[in-house]
Amino acid sequence: MRQLRATLLLSICSLMLISCAEVKAWERGYLAREEMAWDPNSLESSLNDHIFFSKEASSGGNSTAGGGCGCN
Amino acid sequence: MKNASRSIIALSSTAMALPGIALSDAPPTQSTVSYKLSNYQEDDLSRSEAPIGELERYEIDVHQFQLVSPLGRNMSLHVDANYESLSGASPWFTSRSLDGEPVVNLSGPSGIWDRRAELSVGSRFYLENGSFAGKIGYSEENDYSAFSFGLNGEKNYNNDLTTVSVGLSYSSDQIFPTDAALFNRVIEDDKQSTSVFFSVSQVINQVSSFQSALSITEQSGFLSDPYKLRDIRPDNKTQIAWSNSYRRFFVSTNAALHANYRYYHDDFGVNSHTSDLSWYQNLGRTLQLVPTLRYYNQSAANFFTNVDNFLNPISEYQSSDYRLSTFGAVSGSLSVIADMGSWTATLTAERYLADDKYSAFEVSKPSTALVKYNRISLGIDFRF
Amino acid sequence: MNFKQKSKILVLLTLAAVSASAWAVEEGDTAPVFDLPSIYSESPAISTASLAGKTVYIDFWASWCAPCLTSLPLYNDMYNKYKDQGLEIVAINVDNPIEDGLDFLLDTPLDFLIPTDPDGEAAELFEVIGMPTSYLINPDGTVTLVHMGFRSGDIEMIEEAIQSSLAGN
Repeated sequence: MRQLRATLLLSICSLMLISCAEVKAWERGYLAREEMAWDPNSLESSLNDHIFFSKEASSGGNSTAGGGCGCN
Repeated sequence: MKNASRSIIALSSTAMALPGIALSDAPPTQSTVSYKLSNYQEDDLSRSEAPIGELERYEIDVHQFQLVSPLGRNMSLHVDANYESLSGASPWFTSRSLDGEPVVNLSGPSGIWDRRAELSVGSRFYLENGSFAGKIGYSEENDYSAFSFGLNGEKNYNNDLTTVSVGLSYSSDQIFPTDAALFNRVIEDDKQSTSVFFSVSQVINQVSSFQSALSITEQSGFLSDPYKLRDIRPDNKTQIAWSNSYRRFFVSTNAALHANYRYYHDDFGVNSHTSDLSWYQNLGRTLQLVPTLRYYNQSAANFFTNVDNFLNPISEYQSSDYRLSTFGAVSGSLSVIADMGSWTATLTAERYLADDKYSAFEVSKPSTALVKYNRISLGIDFRF
Repeated sequence: MNFKQKSKILVLLTLAAVSASAWAVEEGDTAPVFDLPSIYSESPAISTASLAGKTVYIDFWASWCAPCLTSLPLYNDMYNKYKDQGLEIVAINVDNPIEDGLDFLLDTPLDFLIPTDPDGEAAELFEVIGMPTSYLINPDGTVTLVHMGFRSGDIEMIEEAIQSSLAGN
């Protein structure tokens, strides 16, 4: 099972063209920092997503569209 | 008269947002309540851009509320409520000036206002190696109402170093423009939108991670702008967006870099590239300074025209909506965040400039009505 | 990265995976031995030898792990309740830099033993794969409970296991 996991890890990394390290559970302090989250300030990013959605022609990418935008 | 719906900012939160990195399986240990107040103000048009009529564009005040709290042992609750009020004018039609240049005419006298309220409720259920979530939302304004729901799930592999996430959402909207009979607008119509997404996140090493996400959305129904004098769009649209994100922490500097790139394409003919960079600089234990730069580039929809042609048959697609033109936009913002333990305050100022000169795509029909705006926000979070 | 380098990494990872699995600590195993300095420089080192013959609850925690921080005050209450019956709690802090762990303890003083393991040597011995992970060890040195994560309601289950171990089961 662990061999399969290691192979899977390597495959995903190879696909992403990056070399990945096996980061142990106790070594994840920096990754756990709030500024390292994908979305540290969700109200700011949802505000921005929708200003840009209503002023530009593009939307989406990292989550499903919320509903209810009267901005075509 | 109003051109409200498109310009009122829809703020249904991305409570379906993808998880954090190191501890993605844990439900929140505390409740957090957040409030953010924002003011958005577009620059006035110049007389050369709009020879007659209104020059003042939109001003919008936005109130965002959010509650995230643990629910029992394995769940979390997410509630988002937004309220916004808008006043101002927006492009009604375009024409050619005496010099032969395209010019824009903003809708009627000032004093136009609209209000929008939205509520969404969601819940996330945490398992040992992943989680799944559901959310429903409803929003309403004077000329628009929408109901939506979403589901997503994520699973961790490689001791949480890899996360795969999938999601689905659906929205059903009703459009009932104001003063419809008076201005010969569509009285009432509807629109549906279905969207799926798939993403993979990968920890690269102790200080960096990467994520790639793809979303596909299908819209059908009334997709035109009912407040423009001549705006006829296809009754379905397929769009695809591919986002890539990189996060890197710099230990000696005590700062994090966020780099994002998104490619977008739809069958109206619009292609776009969005890149943004943010630098999260910690100053001591309490303060954080976050400058952000964004560069956006889009190519026009197939049926975009910068001068409305009222002689075209109604069966032919046409729109002079500046949002469907070829243009680029540069924006910069600065946030100052103060963390006082159980509460956090965030102050943000942003300046956005759209111009056909910023476009990397070739511009054949520049729009005169491209927008420039300022935005300022103050947010407070309280954890208990 | 060329194919040769990639295959080398694959081989190394596989070897690491195979050898690592030999060290996984499960219920029923004998607990690994360790000797770590205390997070408080003025306090003596903490070793398994000094804890022999007692019921020991070992918890791996860090200041950046939210569920860890929720659990520690609860463990403190439990320690004070059962210490006279022979319970020892050893909360191994894996913060690197160590100051991050000390800063948390300044705000939240704890009464039990707190070793420091910034290089993860003890964490490696115990094959910790998630934060937090805790181990309940009987007086005879056998691991009787391995618990990953910390959610609301867990403290009751842990307390029961501790009572059971103290009662000589």
